[in-house]
Amino acid sequence: MASTQHHPSHVLLSPAELAYLHDALLLVPPIRPDGRGPNDFRPLVAETGILPGANGSARICFADGTEAIAGVKAEVERTVRRAGDDTVYLEEGGGEEEDVEEGEEVEEKGKGRGEKKGEAAWVELTVEIPGVRDDDSGTVFLAAMLSEALLADGELVGRLWINRRFHWKLYIDIILISPPLSYPLPLLSLTTHLALLSTRLPRLKSEGDEDPFFDDDWAAAPYLFPRSSSSKSQPAPRPPITLLVMAVGNNILFDPSKEELAVADVALAVSVTSSTSQTGKEVTKGKNPSNSPSQSHRSLRLLSIRTIDPPSRLTPPGVANAANAAYGAANLNNLGNNGQQQKAAEARTAETEAVEGVWRAPRGGANRAVLAALVGKVLEKGGIVDEVLDALEAVDLG
Amino acid sequence: MTDRRRINGPPGETIPPFFDDADRTPEAVKGRSRPPNAIRKMFLKTGVTPSASGSAYLEISTSAKPGASGLKLSCSVHGPRSLPRSAPFSPHLVLTTHVKYAPFATRQRRGYLRDSSERDLSVHLETALRGAIIADRWPKSGVDIIVSIIEGDQERETSRSQGDEVWEMMNALSGCITVAAAALADAGIDCVDTVAGGVAALVQDASNSESKPSIVLDPVPSEHEKILAACCIAYLPTRDEVTNLWFRGDLPASDMELYNALVEKGIHASRNANQYVTRPAAHHPCRRWGDDEYEDAA
Repeated sequence: MASTQHHPSHVLLSPAELAYLHDALLLVPPIRPDGRGPNDFRPLVAETGILPGANGSARICFADGTEAIAGVKAEVERTVRRAGDDTVYLEEGGGEEEDVEEGEEVEEKGKGRGEKKGEAAWVELTVEIPGVRDDDSGTVFLAAMLSEALLADGELVGRLWINRRFHWKLYIDIILISPPLSYPLPLLSLTTHLALLSTRLPRLKSEGDEDPFFDDDWAAAPYLFPRSSSSKSQPAPRPPITLLVMAVGNNILFDPSKEELAVADVALAVSVTSSTSQTGKEVTKGKNPSNSPSQSHRSLRLLSIRTIDPPSRLTPPGVANAANAAYGAANLNNLGNNGQQQKAAEARTAETEAVEGVWRAPRGGANRAVLAALVGKVLEKGGIVDEVLDALEAVDLG
Repeated sequence: MTDRRRINGPPGETIPPFFDDADRTPEAVKGRSRPPNAIRKMFLKTGVTPSASGSAYLEISTSAKPGASGLKLSCSVHGPRSLPRSAPFSPHLVLTTHVKYAPFATRQRRGYLRDSSERDLSVHLETALRGAIIADRWPKSGVDIIVSIIEGDQERETSRSQGDEVWEMMNALSGCITVAAAALADAGIDCVDTVAGGVAALVQDASNSESKPSIVLDPVPSEHEKILAACCIAYLPTRDEVTNLWFRGDLPASDMELYNALVEKGIHASRNANQYVTRPAAHHPCRRWGDDEYEDAA
């Protein structure tokens, strides 16, 4: 079974070690094995533009030795038009004066992105993890999670629109080049974010619905996600990032390592983006971010949440003394009838309830309040997402 | 050299004309026919597959068209049985979930091999069930849970439902969780509680963006103008715990109340679905062929 071999749950920790780690993480404040605070990320090294043959690329190396490369390639593709979708009426096709077309162009720009609606099929994302089959369900789940975040707000696919007949098809290929030493989700997500930030598409020279014709000067190619936005009040939109958070008891830990995940009660992958998107604007009840400059300059949007099956459910349980044959459960006969009953009751307790210092894989789901606290912690203003996004902004995009 | 052996079509492609039928369009946009906090009616029956150790069949009615039927799922549970000799030691029950659309279940034909969305669904289902099962009572054994989606819940009119696939996937997942929970109960596998799936969505009904979006339970994408966000929840009612949470959409982070309300409604939908699982009518005493003979002997 290839999937179990590389499953992050296969940490070589004994039940006693798991119980110790769990108790350390339950303390207030939690004591993490690598000495980080609960909100600290692992240090990382990042660079972009490393692949000359790709439209955008990035490499990130975490301090624990996991390393990933993401490459973004774009191709022009003909848009499959469906009946009734945006039918081209005969009156509109050709035979028009130049100035009329120009006027149309301006009008089209005025309509904004509502008209330039992309499709989910325009982005294809693959994840390659060494030693794991590419149809392994864990890998498929990772890829589905990353692409779900990219597609959720329609921001990215809206940018791939060229004209009504053509669009860019974006291939995002992520390769983990080290063995999966920890659950690779945050690493892959941050690498994808940087690769998309460094992605440039050739400048379009043609106009309207004619066959696209591009500027061959690469220096003039604009970024897919522009550096700075046109209006000062709104920050430039950024691709989403997906963070991994876990909870032990009521303690919330960001960016858990493999050992910490092995004792997690619940783990969530939360995708957020930092833009104001047009599609969901009507939902916004809050104020315009420009009105409240004292707050964080970003307005975060929640895009997706997925529960990660915590590998702690697969860890071997410890055996309590009451149930341990080598420690007295076997010589029940030597005890009196009363003692026998007491021992049996203790053994039952060991099966159903937690015994101090004995590791038992968590049963049941996550508490609702803990789940809400996890998401709230990710989304809080000036919190961890702002920190991560600031750090990623600082990466030189070459 | 051109191919002269076959009669080929014309070289240039054309698009067939599409006539905008004025009197059909308003009729196609159908509103929701049930109150916002009601889920669709379900039919659930266990013990439908005699050869499996546990099985269940779930049918969800659709309210979009009176005659048409909705989601139909069948689930069979095989095991617990011992793991093959080659498998590594496991102190727990090894859970394998398999979700497959029948090739004819959806508008677009599905192949016989599972595609990535089906694999994705089975990982979600595994997460939802793993929390419910008491896995340490069966060391060194495995159980296979196979869900076949016999009929998907899709609008037949292609043009109207672009981008609805992901919302349909959420509905399918909640059905998968409910039917698998019933099949697990039928197989007699120890669980901490009966789990059930529920979906809640934030929808915008009117086409003008001024109207306020509302939260509905068990959304059917074709009944609503636009779905802004949705979440699918697997919930254990007596423990008050969530085993799987899948949210997707676009919500402002400043508005945590909206998100919390959505999750609450998802839990509400899951509670409603749970009544079908725990209802005794779903589990007849002589539910399986041959079971009555067994009872006579005992």
